[in-house]
Amino acid sequence: MVGTEQVPVTVLTGFLGAGKTTLLNRILTEQHGHRYAVIVNEFGEEGIDNDLVVDADEEVFEMNNGCICCTVRGDLIRILSGLMKRADQLDAIIVETTGLADPAPVAQTFFVDDDVASRTKLDAIVTVADAVHLGAQLGEHHEAEEQIAFADVVLLNKTDLVDAAGLDSVETRIRKINPYAKIIRTTRCEAELNAVLGLDAFNLDRVMEFEPDFLESDHAHDHDDDITSISFVSETPLDIEKFQKWFGKLLQTRGQDILRSKGILNFSSTDDRYVFQGVHMLMDASTMGAWPEGKARNSRVVFIGRNLDSMGLKEGFESCKAA
Amino acid sequence: MSQAPTKPPPGFRKTSFEETAGLFDTGAPVTGAVANGDGIASTFGDGTVRFFHPSETSPAEVHAHNGVVLCCAAEGDHLLTGGDDGKFLRIAPDGTVNELANFGSKWVDCVAASNGLRACSSGRKAYIWTSGRSEATELEHSSTVGGLAFDAKGSRLAVAHYGGVTVWEQKKHRWKKSKLFWQGSHGAITFSPDGKFIVTAMQENALHGWRLRGKIDLAMTGYPSKAKSFAWVGETPYLATSGGYEAICWPFDGPQGPMERPPLCVGQHGENIATCVEAFPLLNAVFVGFQDGAVLVSELQETKDVMALRGPTGIEVTAIAINQPQSHLFVGDARGHSLWAPLKN
Repeated sequence: MVGTEQVPVTVLTGFLGAGKTTLLNRILTEQHGHRYAVIVNEFGEEGIDNDLVVDADEEVFEMNNGCICCTVRGDLIRILSGLMKRADQLDAIIVETTGLADPAPVAQTFFVDDDVASRTKLDAIVTVADAVHLGAQLGEHHEAEEQIAFADVVLLNKTDLVDAAGLDSVETRIRKINPYAKIIRTTRCEAELNAVLGLDAFNLDRVMEFEPDFLESDHAHDHDDDITSISFVSETPLDIEKFQKWFGKLLQTRGQDILRSKGILNFSSTDDRYVFQGVHMLMDASTMGAWPEGKARNSRVVFIGRNLDSMGLKEGFESCKAA
Repeated sequence: MSQAPTKPPPGFRKTSFEETAGLFDTGAPVTGAVANGDGIASTFGDGTVRFFHPSETSPAEVHAHNGVVLCCAAEGDHLLTGGDDGKFLRIAPDGTVNELANFGSKWVDCVAASNGLRACSSGRKAYIWTSGRSEATELEHSSTVGGLAFDAKGSRLAVAHYGGVTVWEQKKHRWKKSKLFWQGSHGAITFSPDGKFIVTAMQENALHGWRLRGKIDLAMTGYPSKAKSFAWVGETPYLATSGGYEAICWPFDGPQGPMERPPLCVGQHGENIATCVEAFPLLNAVFVGFQDGAVLVSELQETKDVMALRGPTGIEVTAIAINQPQSHLFVGDARGHSLWAPLKN
């Protein structure tokens, strides 16, 4: 088949009232001749100013592939396939989720559905957070934690309503859940367009840019429901067979608790870099060419999830080192 | 619309079908095609509908929808269409457009017609119009409707959705429902010609069927990709399906249908996925369109030779339709190329 451009899809999450609609309208009024489709949910706030708004019901269903946490958004498969039949090419598609939505099924749809993956690509998950209420929401709703955990960008909005100390404290909460998301402070979602669109955050190329933050990698937390992150580095090359065996089993048995994972690996058997990134049990991996001259040739992995302490991650990763 | 350049890809000689075919470059993806009396009607991603007729070299063009034509069904020599502009339309071959319903920002995803009944779906609801009445009956479902099909008599409407199918049956002017369950998301749907089986195309690489008597499940799996297109062929009859490397044809004779029986596989074209199938009843054969643009025709016998109607173009076949007299064939692809030509034996 003749190659077709994949249209980037940005997923916009955040609790009701955080400012999703404000951000959407800001993107749409500043679109400078670009053509966007916006997929909104049935409980969406009114007043989105675009000629291509599609109403969706968030219909999450389980795949029959025996993978227990592999849920996808069926409505999204249908709507994206309909949008791809348009005569005019779209520059981007934005999917707004309901306030209480778990972003995983949306992300998993792009891993699992061949039609979706061939014509569109997941660009990034952008989460709008209310600086005033996020703290309370994180304690009360696991969905709020998941939306932060999955985010590539967190737009910390309504910062004018919180003092400097309050802002630092809410940012620390975000960092604790997800140390790798880019946090942008705004008062009325006035972020630059290129800070929220066209990020290509799920591209394996981008995984290589991440640098684990050692200070954050081993922090304590209050109780098991909390989402945390953990990262490891190894200067010793890894054994590919040992890694695949350990990591495959890990995702299979603990994938429900591992929300996102990514890594760049140095295998003893090859001179190429090996890069992966995953959402729950699903992952995408590839060799990415030779290691650049003058850069440290080491393996780095990160996990964001629940109950990470109970998974023996450090021991597992250590055991993958080549003898 | 302009005549497209008709250069065959290097290494392929033009077939006689291609040599006689009118080739039209419409610029918008072909989204569907159905037999429409002596001709066929085809639908496009820019809202256009085109009627091709054996006596005309060029199609009649109708600007019907303000957006993608998502679905179509023939109603006599008229065409019913649903679009992403929320409109359910009835279009006459002379180009007259009649708006039957308008759902605003909600898409009209599916349409169907049979024996004076017509139906469409938008979101979770299906709407049925009986002849002579302007008010539709609303049928609500638990999730978005993925497919609609009437049986041949027009007494039952099958509605595919998440988790299975709802069958609505008209009894004393009321529509009564019964349910068929199977986990997953169900799309395009069809009754067997004798009305005893229902089959759905799933959002996974599988079809699912039910024998209505006893509600017995038939899982048709093993496809390398989704089976989005199907057609009933022959006396047996077979249900020919896309989604494999050839047309996968399931036998539906006998009380068990395809249960514990292998399908007949015809029309292989290398490692290319079949994207579209259409019945050729006259020759007990099936047309198979592929991901790479090739179109083959094969009789329903594994030992028979396969004939190429069209060579590869690199562009996915999205619609194939034969007219009722079985004299002319339409082929449409994902880039808006449309072929219309007589069939020679």
